Amino acid sequence: MRNWMLYTPLAIFLGVSIFLFTGLFSDPWTRDSALLNRPLPEFDLPDLMQPEQRWNRELLTGEPFLLSVWGVWCPTCKAQLAFMEQLKEQGVKVVGLYYPLPVDPAFGEHFSLGQLQRDVRQQLQQFGDPYQFNILDENRRMSMDLGVSGAPETFLVDAEGRIRMHHVGDINPRVWRQKFEPAMEQIQDQSDTLVQQAEVNQIGASH
Amino acid sequence: MRSLCLLLLLSLSTVWAAGQEILPFDDDGQRKLYQELTQQLRCPQCQNQNIAESNAVVSIDMREKTYELVQQGHSKQEIIDYMIDRYGYFVHYSPPLNALTIMLWLLPVFALLMMLLFMLRRKKQQQQLISSNAPLEQELNAIIDAYRSKK
Amino acid sequence: MVPELGQIALTFSFALSLLLGTLPLYGSYTGNERALMLAKPLAIGAMVFAGIAFIALSYAFYYDDFTVINVASNSSSVLPWYYKLTATWGSHEGSMLLWVWILTIWTAAVAVFSKQLPLLMQGRILGIMGLIGVGFIAFSLFMSNPFERSLPYFPAEGNDLNPLLQDFGMIIHPPLLYMGYVGFAVSFAFAIAALLGGKFDSTWARWARPWTLAAWMFLTLGIMLGSWWAYKELGWGGWWFWDPVENASFMPWLVGTALIHTLAVTEKRGTYKSWTVLLALAAFSLSLLGAFLVRSGVLVSVHSFATDPSRGVFLLVFLLLVIGGALLLYALRMRSVRSESRYKLFSREVMLWGNNVFLLTATLVVFLGTLLPLFHQELGLGTISIGEPFFDAMFFYLAIPFSLLLGLGPWVRWKQQKWQTLIPPMSMVAIAALVVALGMMSLTQSIQANTALIGLLLGAWVGMSAIGEVGQRIHQFGQGLAGIRKLNASHYGMTTAHIGFAVMVVGIAMTTTYSVERDVRMQVGDSVTLSGYQFTLLDVYDLDGPNYGGEAADLRVERDGRLITNLHAEKRFYTIQRTVMTQAAIHARLSRDLYVSLGEALPGNAWSFKVQVKPFVRWIWLGGLLMALGSIWSLLDVRYRRKVVSRVRHNSAITKEAENA
Repeated sequence: MRNWMLYTPLAIFLGVSIFLFTGLFSDPWTRDSALLNRPLPEFDLPDLMQPEQRWNRELLTGEPFLLSVWGVWCPTCKAQLAFMEQLKEQGVKVVGLYYPLPVDPAFGEHFSLGQLQRDVRQQLQQFGDPYQFNILDENRRMSMDLGVSGAPETFLVDAEGRIRMHHVGDINPRVWRQKFEPAMEQIQDQSDTLVQQAEVNQIGASH
Repeated sequence: MRSLCLLLLLSLSTVWAAGQEILPFDDDGQRKLYQELTQQLRCPQCQNQNIAESNAVVSIDMREKTYELVQQGHSKQEIIDYMIDRYGYFVHYSPPLNALTIMLWLLPVFALLMMLLFMLRRKKQQQQLISSNAPLEQELNAIIDAYRSKK
Repeated sequence: MVPELGQIALTFSFALSLLLGTLPLYGSYTGNERALMLAKPLAIGAMVFAGIAFIALSYAFYYDDFTVINVASNSSSVLPWYYKLTATWGSHEGSMLLWVWILTIWTAAVAVFSKQLPLLMQGRILGIMGLIGVGFIAFSLFMSNPFERSLPYFPAEGNDLNPLLQDFGMIIHPPLLYMGYVGFAVSFAFAIAALLGGKFDSTWARWARPWTLAAWMFLTLGIMLGSWWAYKELGWGGWWFWDPVENASFMPWLVGTALIHTLAVTEKRGTYKSWTVLLALAAFSLSLLGAFLVRSGVLVSVHSFATDPSRGVFLLVFLLLVIGGALLLYALRMRSVRSESRYKLFSREVMLWGNNVFLLTATLVVFLGTLLPLFHQELGLGTISIGEPFFDAMFFYLAIPFSLLLGLGPWVRWKQQKWQTLIPPMSMVAIAALVVALGMMSLTQSIQANTALIGLLLGAWVGMSAIGEVGQRIHQFGQGLAGIRKLNASHYGMTTAHIGFAVMVVGIAMTTTYSVERDVRMQVGDSVTLSGYQFTLLDVYDLDGPNYGGEAADLRVERDGRLITNLHAEKRFYTIQRTVMTQAAIHARLSRDLYVSLGEALPGNAWSFKVQVKPFVRWIWLGGLLMALGSIWSLLDVRYRRKVVSRVRHNSAITKEAENA
C-alpha cells in the first residue's frame, strides 16, 4: 500500500468536519422558496370582512406590497401585529391572506364566517391592525400555490406582481432590517428606473 | 328508548354494515399510487415526516390535493412536480439530479470498483511472488489436499 | 442533597478517568509497572462513581425532585413509577449520563476480564478508554449537567415525559443501543493500543474479537428494538424510515459487521491487518459521529435532542481529537506493516473481502444519503431531502450480490478452494432455495411481484446454504450427535446469524410488497374486510389513564366466520404535554401482523381507522434476534476461554518484547 493512501481516511474525515462545523451555525430549518421571482399565482378569493368583494391578482398589482399569511389561531402572528402596524404607519402596504384552520365537525365545529370576523376584529383591535384588507383563503389553496407551510409567512411582491421574497416565521425589527429593507430598496430602485425609462419614452414619443 | 336503540343496533349488526373507505378509489392502481406518493412526499413544516404520517394542516392539505390529482388521473411524476413547483425540492424524498447529488450514485460505485480493483491488483502482485517458488507451493498444496481428503 | 451527591460522584469519576487516561499511558512509555497496575483499580473506581451519579439522578426522578431542571422538564408526579425511572435517560442530559456510565462499565469489564492480556497492552487499552471517558464526562459535567437545579424558584409540577417515550420498548432501547455504540470503544482502544505498540500480529485481533462481537450483539438488539418500538408506537406501521438518527446507528452497525468478519481473517490468517485496524477505528468513529449528529442539531430529525451550538462545538472538537488523532496515528504507524499471507483468488479470504466491499459501499450510501443534504445546503445549493426512494433502491441493488456471496462464502475454504468441488453442493442449495422460495410465493397467491420474488430467492439461497453448510460440516466430523458436538460454537453462531440475515431479507421483501392498508370510516357495528380478515368495530369509549385521557376502540377480527382475535386500539391525549399518541392494536403471528390504529372522530358518530395487514413483518425482527443470538453463541466458544491458559506463556514473551521496543 502506498503511504499517501494511508492519509486518505484522515483527509476525508477533516473534509467532512468542515461541513459539520459550518452546519452547526446554520439553521437546519431554512427552506428555500420555490416561488421566488415568480409572478403571484392567479386566484379569485373573497374579502374576509366584505365577502361580496372579491380579490384577484390583477387587483393587487400596481405597487409593491407585503402579503402576510396569518390566522387568529397562531400566537406568533399575534405577536407580530404591533410591529407590522408600525410598518403600515411608515407607508408599507400590507395585505393579509387569512389562513383558516380546517374545521372538525366531529367536535361540533362549524365554519362560521360571522364568528371568524368577530374574532379577527377583536384581535386586530387589541394587538394592532397592519392590514389594508384581508383576503380569505377559504380552503387554503392559494396558500398551497404559494408554498405556504404554516403561519406566519410573509411575501414581498413588487409592482409587477412578482414575488421578491418569501419569509417563513415572524416579522420583527431585526428581520425587517436585515432581510426586508435591502429587498425593498432594490425594488424601489428598479421601479424608479422603470419610471425614468417610461418618462424617457414619453419624451421620445412627444418629440 | 335506549333499549329500542340497542335492539335496532343488534338487528343491524346481523346484516353487517360496511365501513367505508375514507378516500375511495376506483382501482387498486390509484390507491397504490396515492399511498406511495403520500409516503414519498415530505411534510414541509414538520421535522422529518412524510405527509402520510403527519397531521399538520399543510400535510392534510397536501394529502387532499394528492388525492384530487390522483383522481384526475395525473401520473406520479406530474403530481411530484406539482408539489415541487410549490414547495421546492425539499418536499420530495428523492433528490434532484445535479453536480453534487450525482455523487450519491457515483461515489458508491466508484468505491465499490476501487475496492474490487485493489484486491485484484494485490492478487496479481502475490501471484508473481508465488510463482517464484512454485514447486514448493505445489508440494504444500498436495499435502493439504491429502490431509483434507483423509478427513 | 442527593443531586449534589450525584454531581460530586460524577466529578470523582471524571478525576479517576483523568488519572486512568494519563498514568497507565505514562507507565507504558517509561516501563513503570506500578503506573500500569493502577489502570484496573482506576477503571473500576470510575465505573462505581459514574454508577452512583446515575443512581442519584434516578433517585431524583423517582422522588419527583422538580428543583432539578432535568427532572422538571422530563417527568411529572402522575407518571407511573417505572416511567419515572426510565425518564432518567429520556432527555439529552440524562442519556448522556447513561452513556458515560456504560462507557465506564465497558472499561471496567475490560480491566476485569483481560487478565490474560500483557500488562502493557492492558495499560494502553484502559488508558485510551480513560481518555475517551474524560471527554464524555467533561461534556456531561460542563456542557449538559443533568443535576442542574433551578433554585430558588422551581415548578410545583413537572413537564412530563415525552409520551413517545412512555413505552416498554423505550425502557430498554437506549441502554442496549448505547451498549453497542460504546462497546465499539473497546475495539477502538484495542486498535489504538496495537498502533501504539506497533505490533499487528494476529494476537490483538484475537483479543478484540469477543469484545467486538459483544458490542455488535448489543447494537443489533438496540437497533432492532428501536425499529420494533417505532412500528408499534408511531401508529403507522413503518419499521424503518431512513431518518438521520436511524442512519447514525446503522452506519456503525454496518462497519461493525464488516469488522467482525475481517477480525476473523486477521486472527486466523494474519492478513488484512491494516484494513482491520482501520475498520476498528471507523466503527467507533461512526458511533461518535452518530452521537454528534443526534446531539448537535445539525440535522433535522424526529429523534434529535434540543439544540445548542456550544454543545455541538464541544462534541466536534472532541471528535477531531479522538477520530483525527486516531486516523493520524494510523497513517503514521501503518507504514511498516505488510500482510504476508498467501491465498488464491477463490478463497475464504477473498470471499470475506467481498463481504467488506459490499458492507462498506452500503455504509457509504447511508453516509452520503444522511449528510449530503447538509453539504448541499452549506454549499448554497438549496434544501433537499433524501429518503426512502433513494435508500430502498440502493439497498435493493447492493443486497443482491451481497446475498449471493453470503450464500457461497461459508463453503469456501481458507487459502484456496477448487471451484469444481463446490458445484454439486451449491447446485443442491440453489435447487432447494428455488423450491423454498416458490413454495413461499405460492402461499401469497400472486407471483407477479418481482421484488418479492428476488427477495425470497436471495433469502432462501442464504438460508439453505447456511443449513446445508453446517450439515456438511457435521457430517465431516462424524455420525449423528458426535458430529454435532464436535462442531464448535462459533461455527453454529455464524450459521445462526446468517440464517437471521436470510429471515430478515424474506421479511423485508414480503412486507414491503404485500402489505395492504386502508383508511376507513366505521361506526359501531360496521366492519371492513381486508385480505380475507373481517374487522368489526364493537365499541368506542373514553379512556382515563394516570397522565392521559382519550378514546379506545374494541374490534373483533374474524376470518371465514371463525374468531381470530379481539383488538384494542387507543388514541391517547397526554394532558400535560398536550400531545396525541396512537396506541395501535396489533395481532402478531409469524405469517402476518394485523395492525389497527384509531384515527380521529368523524361526523355521524363514526371514527376513522387505519387497518393494515402486514405479511411476514415479524421476520424482520426475528432475523435481528437470530443475528444477536448467533453472536452470543459465538461468544460461548471455548476457544475464547481455552486459549487464555495456553497463551499466558506466549504473552509474557510479548510483554518483554513490547517493553524493549
